[in-house]
Amino acid sequence: MSLFSLGLVRAIVGQILGMLTGMATTMLIRVMLGLPAWAAEPSWTVGAIFSIIGALWAVGALSDWAKWMKGEETPMHHGPPEGKPAWTRYFGVDYNHKVIGVQYTVWGIFLLLVGGTMALIFRTELAESGRQFLSLELYNNFIGMHGFIMIFAILLGIGGMANYLVPLMLGAEDMAFPRLNALGFWFNVPGSLLLLSSLFIGGWDAGWTAYPPLSARGPIGYQLFFLGVFAVGLSSIVGSLNLLVTILQMRPKGMSLFKMPIFCWAVFATSLIQLTATQLIGLSFLMVSTQRALGMGFFDPGLPGATLMTGLGDPILFQHLFWFYSHPAVYIFILPGLGIISELLPVFSRKPLFGYKWIALSSLAIAIVGFLVWGHHMFVSGYAPVLRYAFMYSSLLVAVPTGVKFFSWLGTLWGGKLTFETPMLFVLGAISVFLIGGLSGPILGTVPSDLPLHDTYFVVGHFHATMFGGFVFPFFAALYFWFPKVTGRMYNETLGKIHFAIMTPAFWVQTLGQMGVGVMGMRRRIADYDPTLGGGSIEAWQLSITIAGFLIGFGVLLMLWNFFQSAEVGVLAGDNPWRSRSPEWQIPSPIPEHSFASPMVVHGEPYDYGLPEPYVAFAAAGDD
Amino acid sequence: MQNNTRHFAAIGVLVVIFTFVVFWILDAVLKFPLAASTQAGPIDSLIQGHLWIIAFLFSLVVVIAIYSLFLFRRREGDTEEGQYIHGNTTLEILWTALPMVVVIAFGYWSTVVLVDITQRPDNEIIVNAEGYQWGWNFSLPNSDAVTQELVLPVDTPIRMDLTSKDVLHNFWVPEFRVKQDIVPGRTTYLRFTPTIEGEYRLICSELCGLNHTGMIAPVRVVSQDEFAAFWNQDVQTASSK
Amino acid sequence: MSVATLGHQADHGHADGHDDSQAAYLERTRRNRLGMWLFFASEAFIFIGLLAARFYLWVDEGGQMMRPELDQVVGLIVTVVLLLSSYFMNRAEVSIANNNRRDFLWSLVITAILGTIFLVGVIIFEWGMLPFIFEGHLKPSDGVFGAVVFGMTGMHALHVLSGIVLIGNVWWLGRKGHFSAERHWGVEATAIYWHYVDLVWIFFYPALYLIGHAYGVGH
Ligand code: HEM
Ligand SMILES: [Cu+2]
Ligand SMILES: [Cu+2]
Repeated sequence: MSLFSLGLVRAIVGQILGMLTGMATTMLIRVMLGLPAWAAEPSWTVGAIFSIIGALWAVGALSDWAKWMKGEETPMHHGPPEGKPAWTRYFGVDYNHKVIGVQYTVWGIFLLLVGGTMALIFRTELAESGRQFLSLELYNNFIGMHGFIMIFAILLGIGGMANYLVPLMLGAEDMAFPRLNALGFWFNVPGSLLLLSSLFIGGWDAGWTAYPPLSARGPIGYQLFFLGVFAVGLSSIVGSLNLLVTILQMRPKGMSLFKMPIFCWAVFATSLIQLTATQLIGLSFLMVSTQRALGMGFFDPGLPGATLMTGLGDPILFQHLFWFYSHPAVYIFILPGLGIISELLPVFSRKPLFGYKWIALSSLAIAIVGFLVWGHHMFVSGYAPVLRYAFMYSSLLVAVPTGVKFFSWLGTLWGGKLTFETPMLFVLGAISVFLIGGLSGPILGTVPSDLPLHDTYFVVGHFHATMFGGFVFPFFAALYFWFPKVTGRMYNETLGKIHFAIMTPAFWVQTLGQMGVGVMGMRRRIADYDPTLGGGSIEAWQLSITIAGFLIGFGVLLMLWNFFQSAEVGVLAGDNPWRSRSPEWQIPSPIPEHSFASPMVVHGEPYDYGLPEPYVAFAAAGDD
Repeated sequence: MQNNTRHFAAIGVLVVIFTFVVFWILDAVLKFPLAASTQAGPIDSLIQGHLWIIAFLFSLVVVIAIYSLFLFRRREGDTEEGQYIHGNTTLEILWTALPMVVVIAFGYWSTVVLVDITQRPDNEIIVNAEGYQWGWNFSLPNSDAVTQELVLPVDTPIRMDLTSKDVLHNFWVPEFRVKQDIVPGRTTYLRFTPTIEGEYRLICSELCGLNHTGMIAPVRVVSQDEFAAFWNQDVQTASSK
Repeated sequence: MSVATLGHQADHGHADGHDDSQAAYLERTRRNRLGMWLFFASEAFIFIGLLAARFYLWVDEGGQMMRPELDQVVGLIVTVVLLLSSYFMNRAEVSIANNNRRDFLWSLVITAILGTIFLVGVIIFEWGMLPFIFEGHLKPSDGVFGAVVFGMTGMHALHVLSGIVLIGNVWWLGRKGHFSAERHWGVEATAIYWHYVDLVWIFFYPALYLIGHAYGVGH
């Protein structure tokens, strides 16, 4: 078996060749126009565009579409590729949603590790005041890079959970558009590689928000960063489109929207946001990109006295476009995680989900109200003062549906028969952490109290708590919970509990510490701080935050080691170790190539623990 | 089920106790800098209000959760399922409506504070600040003199007129609480009234490139006489060099 | 991006590989159709974003809504041409539904030609990309006027171009005997895509050419 039979290797080679082709094309055109052959900005930009296409083409994600355009038939291939070991299918284009789900998840965890490493590097720098080993340049690069790599990781983690689970929960054979699904995943590979490689050609130093004018004049790495985001954004768009069609049209008879497993509601709400809002971050970065490459001054005010013909661009316009995506984006990150919490609580409480409809509709409400609050990131930007009031009230409203979820979770716990396996522990951890994150939101949402807190570490503490509570903890809960379904074996429970016991308190220290130093007056995105802040207590806090960060990293490694080990030697888990009512647990583990041997029939409600009637059953074979 | 009243009473007491404990912890951890402007007063009260609500809601959720974890944990040998409860519409409406009232109340309070801290007093004086990568220039409207130190009169309403030479910056003196972005191509404004004489630091709070970390200028709040003297003599001599 | 993918999926795509019955085809087409409309919803946000930028930026110091002086004749001609092309696209779709392959192919050719005229009008006359034929009035770097005009028309032209490619592909497949009265999702998808692109221009044209005071006139 040659190395090139691995799709991933072909993708990387294709990406490099695409980059070179793009550069050569640019140079050729420039020479023909009588310009000097080499110019960094256009060459790297065109090269980056070609590199995305090159990677997709080389891995084979485009070949079926090419065949259709030629009018050829493309019969669907099921199972591992012929003539190759079965594991190679995870490294190439495969149309099975279960394979794609695993690909998303693994690539997401890979990015989580890369982004986490960067964070630990600059946390080490911050452990004591004074500047130690990171140059200012590298420091600025790392904070932005950490931010965006983590966003990619989260998007991939969500894609993994949604792709793997939604068709199973709906009893569907696969996603509505399997080829689009594969393409959606493979966009992420060149996208994240472009982002990472931008570090080697000067990087980009304006933080993940990349506000112009700074981003319009910084190093060339911005173009690779923008195009990487663009590729991943395309993945979000086609992925969410696929999920929406799947949820709306592939449910079995008898499964009305309000009888779906609640996770599908969360994915539905998230996909609505992803489908629409993602275009705006693409557009805003594209506009900065053209401002850099072609001098299109959307955000460039020009010289004093400029007219509409010579300037008058506005940096604040960028912030509007950017946050129109990036605020809803935070709900993209958390809604699936909150869905996981709602999904797992009934299983470990042996009790129906409290207020199913309210939880389902609160996801939708959060998604919709989430579109109206972007301006709360711009309270001090200098936009029209009246907008401050409008965005203050709309932001406060988001707290209401979020509260509904918390109270419903408590209602689910009350009167249950609770057991505390690792997934349940992570769910409880998630609730505690998301509580901290959610409660620190409204204080930022009212303008007067935001004025001293904006752009300080308090905000950093706030959003890490929401991200960890809304994504990381539930994601880990999901990994532990569905591990036996994916591999057929049980993870090591003791190691899982140790992981939880390390990570949860460490995270509390980290996030409270960040809020604390923020209140003392420490700005975000600075490489060094005044050691006298907080009456000199800041350094102890900083050290604690750094130690906590390392503990979290250690916990994650422990989890991965647990999974690697258990996949080989764990005890056989059986088909339904959690006695869940959900469809995916009624079929064998690991799931066969065709998940459902016979069509699924809906009998009852998803969370009616205590009733004998099952949620779903399968028509006897031949009864079709 | 019939025991629920007893449990609710216990939870109620615990929530109250917890609320005070959590508030006390928050108060200890969240150490705001000195409050040195008239704006700081109402802002800090609003923050205190937020902290009380945070302490209460945090306690409410955590107490109920932990209480349930103990009360409803599965005992050894118990194989029954949990109670068959699907939900309760009255409760759902209640915990939608009550938070709604609370957030609207906070919105109203914040509106009052915001109007108060941004309103325009009659006797304000104007000071220009210009941010650049990576430093600050200060001047008065009808004077050519420029300084790198921001000197302000105590107990006098100030309007800072903020401009940028290059990229976004932000004007923030933590002790004055309020902050404002500085945007190239336009002038932004920030109002505050320093109340305590002393030395402070103006720090740029919007990432502005390589040395954003070091974009700091000294601020001195002095008596009104000293302020006049500073601009009449010290600066003239300094900038006539 | 996903236009081509969606457009052709059901003609040949076998979402589940084994079922080639008409019922299965209709089921897949139903899914494809929903996918296509979701795709349009998504795309709408790009165009809304651009329109928002236009109305945000084209305001002068006095708060007056402005527009640059573009060539009104060119604008009107390309708009009429594009609207006309939608008619022929529709004719192509109706023809294949009636199994009239000759009209189907001819209408596609006319649509593609009109689309190309539109593009040429934009590139040569609006943008002045070939200065030896026509001097343009505006460069991309001409302040917010240049940025927004080129941003909006550029994004739209990209969509027209991809539409022309799709039409060409459908035409080529149609000549080889693909598509029938019962099965022509590929044609339908291309047609609604083309109408969509047309619809976008109906919003862009007044935003670029009509609304606001012409800059320089009466200044
Ligand atoms: C309870 C409702 C919430 C409110 C009222 C709220 C409010 C705010 C406000 C006003 C800011 C801007 C702070 C500033 O820059 O001065 C902010 C920042 C942020 N919030 Fe929230 N938030 C809430 C929940 C969430 C949730 C659920 C997430 C999900 C992950 C989240 C993620 C973020 C992020 C990522 C930022 C920082 C963005 C940046 O500047 O880099 N927030 N929040
Ligand atoms: Cu937000
Ligand atoms: Cu700065």
